[in-house]
Amino acid sequence: MRGCVPVRERFHARLADQWEYHMSRFVLSLAIIFSTVLTPAFAVEPTPAKATATEPLTIWWAQWAPADGLQQIADVYAKETGTKITVHQIPWGSFQDQVFLNFGNATTSFDIVVGDSQWLGRGATRGLYVDLTSWLPGAIDLAGIKPQALSNLCEYPSGSKHYFAAPCETDAVGLAYRADWFTDPAEQAAFLARFHRPLAVPKTWTEFAQVAEFFHRPAQNRYGNAQLTGRGYDAMAMGFQQVLWSYGGSWGDAATYAVHGHLDTPEAVKALEFFRTLTTFGPKGATNLDYGQVLDVFTNGSTAMSCTYFAFFPTIAKQLGPKVGFAVMPANGERHAISLGGQGFSVSAKIPVPRQEAAKKFIAWFNTPAVQRQWITKEAGFTANTAILASAEFRAASPYNAAFADSLDHVRDFWNVPVYNELLASAVKHLGEALDGADAQASLRAIADEHEAIFEDAGLKK
Amino acid sequence: MRHRLGWAFVIPTLLFLIIFNVFPLISSVVLGFTNSELTGGSWEWVGGRNFSRVFNDPKYAAAVRTTVLFTVVAVAVELALGFILALALHRDFRGKTAILTLLLIPMMLPPAVMGIYWNFLFDGDYGVINQVLHAGGLLAPPQWRTDPGLKLLAVVAVDVWMWSPFMLLISLAGLGSIPKHLYEAAEIDRASRWMVFRRITLPLCAPLLGLAALLRATDALKQFDLVMAITGPNDASTQTLSTLLYQVIFSNQRVGLGAAYACVVLVLVIALAIGVTRALARMRSANAGQAV
Repeated sequence: MRGCVPVRERFHARLADQWEYHMSRFVLSLAIIFSTVLTPAFAVEPTPAKATATEPLTIWWAQWAPADGLQQIADVYAKETGTKITVHQIPWGSFQDQVFLNFGNATTSFDIVVGDSQWLGRGATRGLYVDLTSWLPGAIDLAGIKPQALSNLCEYPSGSKHYFAAPCETDAVGLAYRADWFTDPAEQAAFLARFHRPLAVPKTWTEFAQVAEFFHRPAQNRYGNAQLTGRGYDAMAMGFQQVLWSYGGSWGDAATYAVHGHLDTPEAVKALEFFRTLTTFGPKGATNLDYGQVLDVFTNGSTAMSCTYFAFFPTIAKQLGPKVGFAVMPANGERHAISLGGQGFSVSAKIPVPRQEAAKKFIAWFNTPAVQRQWITKEAGFTANTAILASAEFRAASPYNAAFADSLDHVRDFWNVPVYNELLASAVKHLGEALDGADAQASLRAIADEHEAIFEDAGLKK
Repeated sequence: MRHRLGWAFVIPTLLFLIIFNVFPLISSVVLGFTNSELTGGSWEWVGGRNFSRVFNDPKYAAAVRTTVLFTVVAVAVELALGFILALALHRDFRGKTAILTLLLIPMMLPPAVMGIYWNFLFDGDYGVINQVLHAGGLLAPPQWRTDPGLKLLAVVAVDVWMWSPFMLLISLAGLGSIPKHLYEAAEIDRASRWMVFRRITLPLCAPLLGLAALLRATDALKQFDLVMAITGPNDASTQTLSTLLYQVIFSNQRVGLGAAYACVVLVLVIALAIGVTRALARMRSANAGQAV
């Protein structure tokens, strides 16, 4: 037994040596794997791909009908020029996050982004969008573009003639109403008896509230109206701001960025209280309806009037047919303001120059009158081309086109400064509190306080 | 040689921890002192400005209140419900396995999917819950997704539905580990059922229940998925610390400010974990003292 001990010790020592050898190999292998896997992840500048004019281009846009139309138009471009274009569609809920996360990379995965109008300031001031100021006027007939669309969708700062986007989808909030209910003789008689005027499509907010109240019959599962009140992104702000402007309030002074004295005025408080009243004539949960839900409560046949973007109207028209009519949003006396929608083409500054040039070529082609005439034939393809908008052919082409063309004269937009999202989040949060029952004046004052602090922090306040 | 062999075993784990835990943590603290943005570009040192903003931000205070309220209520209800269910299931009867399997299903489903699913159930108009309440005679059923007093309750209800089974599992394990002879001795002493529960079952299960509560509380403090799916990240009634962080970093793209928020949250979570761990240790030593 004693003679066995040195043998066992030798065996253990050899085993330990072998372990050490294998472990050192293992650690070395791990180091190689880590360096191979992690080096590209931490690389500062990926090698840009060589670009040629016919290299495929990628456009990022939200997932909705106009993006399908854009893909069809892009296929025509591919046939004409040989440059293939893919329109990559991202669900609305994550569109903004995905785009700006991608902008965090050295090179973006897209060449063109069809971005929201509010993104302009961020894209322009953070070096994310290519400055199109010297190119756009020569490539597109700017005189032929609706000035309100050009200013809100392409220019930053507004009125500066500095362009960071070109027109793609122009949109505005419109009114969809149940034409069959409005023309029902029994309803007309009842309305006349109650309000001493004929039942008609409302032209003022006061008339709108009366019609909404008249049709609001929850016991029959029939509701008066649906407003944009969602808390996710910008629905609440888009829904409320047109009432705010129509009542004489505003988000603030665009020159000085002062908010107090604009957003917390008695007129603005009245607007918010009126907006809250409108939600009481809505379906259950009317104080939190996002774009999809506003569409749902109208297309399910329960709601008399729905205020949402024209881009949703082809879906409504398809589902409800002749039962539905479309109109321009109401005014308040002389004041008539409508929320702008739509997005412009912006070229990524984080792609090689030849790709930027290829992207610009497509954008210029898309904005030619001939292509714009094709664009308006696509589902929810809305143009900013003034000649097309004014043509009898366009106005008669669908039940909503005339209302769309007339709406563009009154469009206004939310802030498009780099800190737009902080402003939006603050506004949506406090407006939501007001719709949930908080004091309207306190909510507006809270927004004004926060907005001024945000402007101050961003160095914009004068 | 042995010493070197030891290091050879430890180094891969150390490397892993440094790369994926320590480096991001240090990087996050450093970012908290900058005005760095999500989209990259140049950034500047801003000193303690971000941290000062965190402590002066009413949104942050509100999010802390909401998160703590959510955590306390949800974990307490889950603990109580899970323990009661475990007491009921801690005996053999026909169909026990089937019932246990059914009870465990919610815990195994992805929270984001469950949030969307419950969103439909909570809908004020066509949601199944309100349809049932309406059919049962309640003419004005509650508006779960829009009533500010009910929104957080709705999120808590879904969390309780999902995570009570976890407490049930831990409680069952605790109950199973209690030596049978203690119950036999209590029976001989003619101890009442309440006395047995108070003096044997509860104290001996307590350390395990405490651990389960700690695990659930650390998870509940990070509540994100359900809030995102049920009310969205920007609802004043339900905005938790995680959804506020999401709002700051991803929507507002303020990475520097978001990192400052995250650092403060981390300190809070660490303080809570230390507190609960110490309480557990005290409980364990008290139990050991009783056993002696």
